[in-house]
Amino acid sequence: MATTTDPLTQRLRARLTKLSAPGRYRLLVHGVLWAALLVVLAPLVLAAIYSTQSASEIYQITNLLPGTQPLDNYTTVLFEYNFAQYMLNSLVMTTVVIVGKLTVSLLAATALVYYRFPYRNLVFYLILFTLLMPLPVRIVPLYQLMADLGWINTFAGLTSPFIASATAVFLFRQRFRSIPPAVIETARLDGIGPLRFLVYVLIPMSRGVIAGVSAVLFIGTWNAYLWPLVVIFERENQVAQVGLRFIQGVGSEGLIEWNLVMTAGVLVMIPPLVVLLVARKHLLSTLAST
Amino acid sequence: MSDHASRLQVFDSNWQAVLLLFPTLVLISVFLYYPFLETVQLSFYRIRVLGNEQWVGFDHYLDLFGSDTYRNSLVVTVIFTVATVTVSLFFSLLLSFLVHETRRFTNVYLIGLIWPYALPLAVAAVVLDFLINPQLGIVTFLLNSTLGIEFNWTTDGTAALVAVILAAVWQGLGYSIIFMTAALGQIPESVTDAARLDGVGPLGRLFRVYVPLISPILVFLIVLQTIGAFFGGFALVDLMTGGGPDESTNVLMFNLYQDAFTNSRFGYAAAQSVVLFVFVAVLMYVQLKITDRYAYYGGV
Repeated sequence: MATTTDPLTQRLRARLTKLSAPGRYRLLVHGVLWAALLVVLAPLVLAAIYSTQSASEIYQITNLLPGTQPLDNYTTVLFEYNFAQYMLNSLVMTTVVIVGKLTVSLLAATALVYYRFPYRNLVFYLILFTLLMPLPVRIVPLYQLMADLGWINTFAGLTSPFIASATAVFLFRQRFRSIPPAVIETARLDGIGPLRFLVYVLIPMSRGVIAGVSAVLFIGTWNAYLWPLVVIFERENQVAQVGLRFIQGVGSEGLIEWNLVMTAGVLVMIPPLVVLLVARKHLLSTLAST
Repeated sequence: MSDHASRLQVFDSNWQAVLLLFPTLVLISVFLYYPFLETVQLSFYRIRVLGNEQWVGFDHYLDLFGSDTYRNSLVVTVIFTVATVTVSLFFSLLLSFLVHETRRFTNVYLIGLIWPYALPLAVAAVVLDFLINPQLGIVTFLLNSTLGIEFNWTTDGTAALVAVILAAVWQGLGYSIIFMTAALGQIPESVTDAARLDGVGPLGRLFRVYVPLISPILVFLIVLQTIGAFFGGFALVDLMTGGGPDESTNVLMFNLYQDAFTNSRFGYAAAQSVVLFVFVAVLMYVQLKITDRYAYYGGV
């Protein structure tokens, strides 16, 4: 800082020297955090700005002002580049996976916690052991299986490998075990069966975990890239993540229309961001309990 | 079995339990165990068109470790993983600590820093692809005009790897910060107060007091992020570099994908899957062992 004559700098410096040590520390903490926010958020803000610029505006590197076509890019990407279709496909895939996973895992967790049956622990470990089998370690036979089933390029092929989940079973089991036995015994005295017990007692008492698991699943499934890329080959059935590959590849021979790529990026990140913001509380507490 | 757990077991019909577990067991058998075991089996076969399979023993594995491409891929993946995990966890720890130190704007910081958790990797890839584009990107432009740095990552292999790591760090930050702030939040005020009274400065508090206390979470994150980086680089590499230039970003997962779905070498790709499985298994085992040791101290 060479310009000691600058009155603003002088005033700032006077302020700083007047601060106590803890005050200076607090200032430093907040300063670093604001700088970090700036870095972490800048790409998002820039992408949003670029998504309003025209093709010629975005090719002027230093032009960071909002562009002249705030909505045109969005309609172009949604309808001419079919992102409306891709986003819809992503949304349907995500919904089916979440509903399927919740249903299947809630049923399994009910059996694991409230039933006395042989090999109970073995079954639990059998489910837990699948954590060691992420998609990459079974992708080749899985693809062949889909081919044998005739599920290549179908919705069933896209969603079915995602539905079984050790994590969801584990989290629901954990939640069920923390429900006080007195509640369970009361319900049992009323003589209700397992399904009604699940629907009227367990699910209402596990709303927070269910919301949290759903949010985690939404973000994870919406962001899936590899499996859709492998199993879907017709564009109209493809999901939004892979749609980004198409729109980025359009101009790879000549000029890429980066304003459209940025627009697509913004569109594709909106749904998971909304889920994060809306379900933040449940999502955080669910993640913290893993 | 604890008394608590057995008091919960109010149903004892075996067939009902089987019915409830049936969907999960069918799904994990068909879509997880079967393809996984099939992967192992496939890795011993050479598959030609139309289901013509030929037993080749350990040939694929020998080919793999004799192949320059695969060995390069292994090295690239290890560099990518170690760099991503180290840089990402360092910044996450520092930022989580700073957020923990604040009383004002805490929620603003938290949301502003954890949102990349919801950022799809593919979006992170295409957005950064443009921001650091050597010809058009604002970041490369600023680096060049202020510091004179040329960041030619489309032609320079090392720079390309840095670019992919950058994207991975950015996207991975949110997840770690979620866990670390949660863990820090559970440290009792009394611990912090005691450290303050003893005159321990902020950095001392972070590294000598907080880090040991949250070490189980840190181990968990190191393992999880390592596994994530091992597998997760795929979308980034596919969209940003295509494995290039000159295979400098050809991570294991991208190599596997190419061999399986571009070159149709299914047996060879399956052998690569088995190698990945061994990595995951070892990492998870290490995590279990370490967290077991720390579990005694409990609490956090």
